[in-house]
Amino acid sequence: MTQERGRRFELQDHTADIAVEAAGDSLEEVFAAVADGLAAASCDEIAAETGEVFSLSVTAESREALLFDYLDELIYLRDVRAELPVDHRVETIGRPTDRRDGEDTDADDWSLEASARGVPLAELDAREVKAVTYSEMRLERASGADDEDWEAYVVFDV
Amino acid sequence: MSDTTFDADGITLEKVREYVWEIPREGDMRVPARVLASEALLEEIEDDKTLEQIKNTTHLPGITKHAICMPDGHQGYGFPVGGVGALDAENGCISPGAVGYDINCGVRMMRTNLTYDELQGHEEELVDSLFTNVPSGLGGGGIVEAGVDTIDEILARGVDWALENGHAVEEDLLHCEDEGMREGADPEKVSQKAKDRGKNQIGSLGSGNHFLEVQRVTDVFDEDVGAAYGLEEDQIVVLIHCGSRGLGHQTCNDYLRKIEKQHQGLLNQLPDKELAAAPAGSQLAEDYYGAMNAAINFAWVNRQLIMHRTRKVFERVFDRSWREMEMDLLYDVAHNIAKKETHTVNDNGDERELYVHRKGATRAFPAGHPEVPSAYRDVGQPVIIPGSMGAGSYVLRGGEHSMDLTFGSTAHGAGRLMSRTQAKDEFWGGDVQQDLEDQDQIYVKAQSGATIAEEAPGVYKDVDEVVRVSDELGIGDRVARTFPVCNIKG
Repeated sequence: MTQERGRRFELQDHTADIAVEAAGDSLEEVFAAVADGLAAASCDEIAAETGEVFSLSVTAESREALLFDYLDELIYLRDVRAELPVDHRVETIGRPTDRRDGEDTDADDWSLEASARGVPLAELDAREVKAVTYSEMRLERASGADDEDWEAYVVFDV
Repeated sequence: MSDTTFDADGITLEKVREYVWEIPREGDMRVPARVLASEALLEEIEDDKTLEQIKNTTHLPGITKHAICMPDGHQGYGFPVGGVGALDAENGCISPGAVGYDINCGVRMMRTNLTYDELQGHEEELVDSLFTNVPSGLGGGGIVEAGVDTIDEILARGVDWALENGHAVEEDLLHCEDEGMREGADPEKVSQKAKDRGKNQIGSLGSGNHFLEVQRVTDVFDEDVGAAYGLEEDQIVVLIHCGSRGLGHQTCNDYLRKIEKQHQGLLNQLPDKELAAAPAGSQLAEDYYGAMNAAINFAWVNRQLIMHRTRKVFERVFDRSWREMEMDLLYDVAHNIAKKETHTVNDNGDERELYVHRKGATRAFPAGHPEVPSAYRDVGQPVIIPGSMGAGSYVLRGGEHSMDLTFGSTAHGAGRLMSRTQAKDEFWGGDVQQDLEDQDQIYVKAQSGATIAEEAPGVYKDVDEVVRVSDELGIGDRVARTFPVCNIKG
């Protein structure tokens, strides 16, 4: 697995597509680890020092939807900015604030602030990952480990 | 395994007859699932999650007769690739995941009157010129860049827009499914995000398994139908495989998320979230259908622009006008689509309107069907099945049993056998490229060596066997076989 700070990811075999299995020592780190996996699935070699850092924010109604929308936003930004987002940082994930026992929270309660470095596509031999999918998606606390450790599994359409 | 059953790790298939296998109903399955395959293909199909996925699709409300897996079926996301599901258009649902992200990913074949002899010696010039002139890869741009009004026109009018703007001729429209314009397209239902992604990708191949291939016809199996399609041995043809690019991918995602928010009840009944479906008659079902049809038009314009650009490349390389080389569109078929169609649904001859979802499957309407373009109505609709870049592709015609067995469908390709990561471990792009040139006189040019490795011939199933089963079942009959000469990839 590729390791950085408190996160790691690995690209997994899938007949037609590519899956990313990731882990992190916080929800923020596991999100960033999946995003790093998305970048790795797009490009084998990434230039170290080019491109500008940009920020993005996403909101969604659940934790899984937030992960899905975050990855979808990165793919969207890749196409419209013509840059591959790499070196992902998820600064904060805002949790639902007024969650009361047994009560559903409002939509768009989860929010995320992140940044990435955008490497111009013209400088890369990159492959198009078409989309993030919900198929077989897992986002859960790591069993038997520290309470803050998370694991994720995401299939991307290529 | 006995003669009448096939045991695939937890799932038992019952043999209905030669090449027809059934997974009987159990639990929450609404109908049985069927797999159309030889035992050799079934042994490949059972290796991944294809069978589980085709079983999952039988949970969709309104699914009619059977969920069907084609001979080239393999694991996808939610719905398997090579899957056909016909869902009642009144009481059923429509599922973006069962169409796929690449809406109207498909193929078109263009004829020429050039022979392989005339082309030999020009291969390198041709492959270089195609690679330079047809945008491919990630961020490769398009042939045209569209503003807001233009993109809406493309979405609403399809190839008719291309005709008006000098990228098509009248005959192109007559040889495209739906004459290059899907009715019921609603550009307003396509999000701004999707349009933003699509506006600089119009006329581009993309990457992955998408390609443009110059081929020679090596065999004509059916002289009469071959003649009706204008195919003869040794002739050069061009095959273009691509889809709706970021615009289609974004449209699929937008609607998956809307369904998740608005139809959670239905979603909770489904075994895979990627099968998310909007109930027929709901606003969202109508909206998705309008948006999907618009993305279908976008894909047709995309392939049209690439084909027209290819004509210009041939003009330069062969120093003759494209009309002189008779570079006419044979046909364009979609591989990822959902379509309202009327089918007979039982032995009493009752007809019903269905959303026929074909994901990695090809429409294959037989001779005489009113929706086959008039040019081919007497012989049946052309079906184009690309093989890998080292193997033959096929032209079939819709078979006489397709309406009964598969809602008028057949396979769409060789089907992947090996994951991309495994492919890169086993093959090196440079070797694959050199071997193809040295052994088979196939000239390949791609944006990266990794793409060539991932698309190496050994990565795919045996297209000959897939087509043999289609032919034997009478869902798509063999007409001609082609072999690659030049291939460009993203």
